[in-house]
Amino acid sequence: MAAAGAGGGGRTYSFKVVLLGEGCVGKTSLVLRYCENKFNDKHITTLQASFLTKKLNITGKRVNLAIWDTAGQERFHALGPIYYRDSNGAILVYDITDEDSFQKVKNWVKELRKMLGNEICLCIVGNKIDLDKDRHVSVEEAESYAESVGAKHYHTSAKLNKGIEELFLDLCKRMMETAQAEERVKGNGASQSASSRRGVQIVDDEPQATPAGGCCSSG
Amino acid sequence: MASADSNTKPLQTAMKMAKAAIQLDGGNRHKEAYCEYLRTINYISHALLEEAASQKDREMAAVEEERMLRLAEQCLERAKSFIGRSADPPDATPACTSGLPGLPEPPPAAALPTTIPAVSAGSPVQAEQKVTSPKKSGHRRVLSDGGGELSPFLPPEVFQRLQTVASQDTSRKELTPIEEASRLNQKLKANYEARLARLAPGQAYQKTSLTLSLQRQMMENLIIAKARQDALQRKMEERRLRLQEEANRRFAASGAMTAEDQEQRILYTNVLEYEQDHDWPKQWKAHMKENPDATLVSDLVSYLLSQSDHPVVKLLRKHQYRVYNKLYPLVSKGLPQSPALPLRPSHSIHNLLHSDAQWKSVGSVGGQSFTADSSISPSRSQNLHYDNQDTEESHTPATVDRENSFEDLEQFLTQLDWAPLHSSIEDADLGLTCDPSEQPEQDEDVQELEIRALKEHLKAIVKDIHIAIDQLLSLCLLSFECLNTASFKDLCLASIEEAFFTPLWSALVALFRKVHGEREQAFEISMKLYQDASPGDVGVPLKLFPQNPDVLQGSCPYESAVQELKLLVQDCCPQRKLECIVRTLRLICACAEDYRCLHEADSAPQTAAIGADDLLPILSFVALRCQCPQLVAECAALEEFIHEGYLIGEEGYCLTSMQSALAFVESLHMGRADLPADKLL
Repeated sequence: MAAAGAGGGGRTYSFKVVLLGEGCVGKTSLVLRYCENKFNDKHITTLQASFLTKKLNITGKRVNLAIWDTAGQERFHALGPIYYRDSNGAILVYDITDEDSFQKVKNWVKELRKMLGNEICLCIVGNKIDLDKDRHVSVEEAESYAESVGAKHYHTSAKLNKGIEELFLDLCKRMMETAQAEERVKGNGASQSASSRRGVQIVDDEPQATPAGGCCSSG
Repeated sequence: MASADSNTKPLQTAMKMAKAAIQLDGGNRHKEAYCEYLRTINYISHALLEEAASQKDREMAAVEEERMLRLAEQCLERAKSFIGRSADPPDATPACTSGLPGLPEPPPAAALPTTIPAVSAGSPVQAEQKVTSPKKSGHRRVLSDGGGELSPFLPPEVFQRLQTVASQDTSRKELTPIEEASRLNQKLKANYEARLARLAPGQAYQKTSLTLSLQRQMMENLIIAKARQDALQRKMEERRLRLQEEANRRFAASGAMTAEDQEQRILYTNVLEYEQDHDWPKQWKAHMKENPDATLVSDLVSYLLSQSDHPVVKLLRKHQYRVYNKLYPLVSKGLPQSPALPLRPSHSIHNLLHSDAQWKSVGSVGGQSFTADSSISPSRSQNLHYDNQDTEESHTPATVDRENSFEDLEQFLTQLDWAPLHSSIEDADLGLTCDPSEQPEQDEDVQELEIRALKEHLKAIVKDIHIAIDQLLSLCLLSFECLNTASFKDLCLASIEEAFFTPLWSALVALFRKVHGEREQAFEISMKLYQDASPGDVGVPLKLFPQNPDVLQGSCPYESAVQELKLLVQDCCPQRKLECIVRTLRLICACAEDYRCLHEADSAPQTAAIGADDLLPILSFVALRCQCPQLVAECAALEEFIHEGYLIGEEGYCLTSMQSALAFVESLHMGRADLPADKLL
């Protein structure tokens, strides 16, 4: 279709973000906190915390975020690749009081880079900073590791709702940059549909919310 | 005189003259009628005389001559009846009944109706009948092989016939003028026969008169119909050219024409043509313009799909038949084998007729290299040697078509593979094709080869299906431009897919089951080992299922999700199956919520929703309890046919989770030893 980007808002970016982390690092609370709707108690989707969506508006561009939770247990590990294929971003969560959970993060980083290359935006997140007195992973170690693998490092507390908004906003911006860069390489996005299965998905602005406009004759 | 169509002319002219006479006769213009009858007789005798004189090439057939003479005879009879008529009252005409031979058989009944099918043979209506009759395709299969067991799949020919029969119920074709006329004539003939039966045996005069007037009417009807038909055909041709131009204009913008464009253009011409004949597309378009509404879209598409002569529907049937034709030889020979089910090599007898000769060329190679037409074999990189048809021709029969060489390769592999397992089963074919002494060493290789070949077939078929659906969607959008918005397009696609997959799914999933046979077996073993397992045995945290059996009132935990998932195999369309999986996961979440509330009855209900860490073990438990290894193949198929738009959404997430759970269940039986450790999680 040739009508892409005709409207004022342009496109809607759709991003897939996988959430990785060991059992008790608090990734579920983290993502729930983020998707919480202040005006609505029934904020959790029918799939609860496993799969969440969030609509954002970043610098005038619409972003649909789909957040995929993954099982942290070792026995589901082999199934990881089918979860994170086609992801635009990954959030790797560890517990700052649990050295082991940080080691797991390192393993995932290796695997993700191996499977998805450099196109995926990585965020390494040290959660539970409210328990700083029990910290077992040093800030310096974590940050220098993140830098060494091309990831960004964040500190969060789901309990205190600290750092979470920034984490996701930052990630979205990075994913948009990556998407735009990819578009430029592909020659102004002439053949996006062909690549939609892998990487960024850019859909035309849908008139879903406004049934009166835009249908049939868009002239 | 010797022009091409002069053959029929004398008779026709004579008929016309006689008709005029009868008309005059009917109008009580006796004198003129009398003259006209005599003129007819005169003309006939003249024509026959001329024919007889030019001895060299007798153009007129004997039948024709006979008919002419009989017509003359009848005219003579009528003419005779006028003598003395002026004196007699019109009804009482006993005068000339004697002495004249009554017509032994009503000639028009014998002569005219038989010409009707001949005239209409070239008419479009006839095509309809051709479609209904089974298409003669290359492979003739033995439908019933005596006592042998039949595969649950219909042969493609039957499949195709069912397709057309089903769709013909929904709409009737309009009759062409000729058809209409022939129907009318049949009615006339029936009336004539009824009247004739009512006549007393002596009333030869009335008989003749009835016969003549029937003949006249029927002839007349046919001539008028022919003229109308010709006019119609001319108009259709003109219109076709006009529409062709219109289609050309529309596609001109796209520049260079590929074969697909060409095909699309032809299809679009057909659509335009259809729209000239039918009003409903215009009406629907007007509706859609006034009130562009999602429910209207589904209604429109389902209406469209019920119109069996619309080009979209024709294309749909064509593609379905093609896919089924490819699937059938692959799946009709036996269902996926789980250890519990006996294998049935006797299915192969289905293909006996055609393949006997082929086997000799293929089978003699000894299982190391197999031959097949390169154009149908998607992979060339394997141990299989796909030769070109050219080099192949020397030892394969010329009649072999693609599917057959396909089939035979398959069949050969299958038989080699199964033979050792069934040495006890008497099967003449097996004896023919396999040398039992070579079997054991080759068995594994061949099995691997077979699976690999099946995988390639599957890949090719999946690709075909994607192409077919793309083509159907774009034709649909070309036909109804108002559907060409992002959200309407999805609705349209959903309807098309449902129509497309419904008759094909069982055969399609059978192929997926063959390819994923090993995984299904693993699933089944785990399923049996864990049939009495509690949710805790597969890693579900204690707080997420009730330990007290009384709470469940006899059902298993997450029973509602299990029941929902069991429905998956009953649907025949990927989209619906996907919805079923989503419902299953939602039910799991709802159940988990309930169970947790039971545990925390006293404390304040805090909404710590379940995440993937909890969801996957529960889903694995539900999959185990579902007791349906076919889920493995079903999900593998869904993976191929899920829309890209759904891939990262809730549907995609649910399918991915389901796949993970199934894979986990498959692995369960191997790691039974370390289960207690898992339990602690």
